[in-house]
Amino acid sequence: MNHFALTIIGRDRTGIVSEVTGILYQIGCNIADSSCSILGGQFSMILIISHPELKDQHALTQAFTPLEESGLSVYLRTLKPGGEKHPDLQGEICMISVYGADKPGIVYQVAKELGERQLNITDLNTKLIGKKDTPVYVMMIEAVLNPGIEIEDVEGWMIKLKNEMKIDISVRSITPVEL
Amino acid sequence: MAVKEILLYPNPLLKEVCAAIGLWDDSVDTLLADLVATMVDAGHSVGVAAPQIGDTRRAVVVDVSKSKLGKKQENHGLLQMINPQIIEREGQVTVREGCMSVPDYTGNVLRAEHIVMQFLDQDQQLQVIKSQGFEAIAIQHELDHLDGYLFLDRVSSLKTDLFRRK
Repeated sequence: MNHFALTIIGRDRTGIVSEVTGILYQIGCNIADSSCSILGGQFSMILIISHPELKDQHALTQAFTPLEESGLSVYLRTLKPGGEKHPDLQGEICMISVYGADKPGIVYQVAKELGERQLNITDLNTKLIGKKDTPVYVMMIEAVLNPGIEIEDVEGWMIKLKNEMKIDISVRSITPVEL
Repeated sequence: MAVKEILLYPNPLLKEVCAAIGLWDDSVDTLLADLVATMVDAGHSVGVAAPQIGDTRRAVVVDVSKSKLGKKQENHGLLQMINPQIIEREGQVTVREGCMSVPDYTGNVLRAEHIVMQFLDQDQQLQVIKSQGFEAIAIQHELDHLDGYLFLDRVSSLKTDLFRRK
């Protein structure tokens, strides 16, 4: 099985998902993992797809021509063998909520604190909300804690940032319990 | 009784730990009346906490009986609560919440399914009640406001993921 990463983005309208998945179905592609969402006014799709025979990226790209013609941007990349496998992430999962009056550098400063300590961010989304004159930035991060790192440690790393940037940050465990 | 403006984050009052009410004077009755009037005026609301109208005392009102979801379930109607405390929690339920003080954003929050709580009612009587379902969720959301927590501090997941085994 050959795997590809497919990214599609374009102004949101009805019918995008059916057009994209229709083409994938017709050419015999499987959709493995996917995440689709509206960002700003754009509908964005990120998909890991596979095909039992097709290896030629060019042939696949050609099938997407109608999408390009309808105003969507399409990008396809061939994955190296094993690139489709989800990493086995061990450790407690934490959710970090970051929010405050909008200002430059919120994402970078928080990500820097985590990156310097080798914490793996597994999901992140941001949204600008609030009123025009008082915009509020909201960021939610899921991260996996390395062995020996506790929620309290992450809270501790964020204290300086909270004070310097005057933003609110809270951290909690969201590791699911097995019942 | 007056309809008050709902404060929006980043108003710092929403992040304060509210003070317990010791002396019951006329201002407490006014506060409860204002909370009820504000909740009713905001047609979609099932609860308002004092800090949301700029008063950092421990008072909330909840009434899920008029809401589409709440009216189908057992509930206590209008609850006016001074110095409310949750004394027992049981079960867990994930619910997608929003908040009038954080418009245009929702998130999955983990809440207790059943709660037992105590508070002083509008007649200064100590009440101990059991609550469950949507009413219990609304109560937990409003009580969080009294400790400076927004639902943003409780979001439990960005996505549904495969069940992870330790």
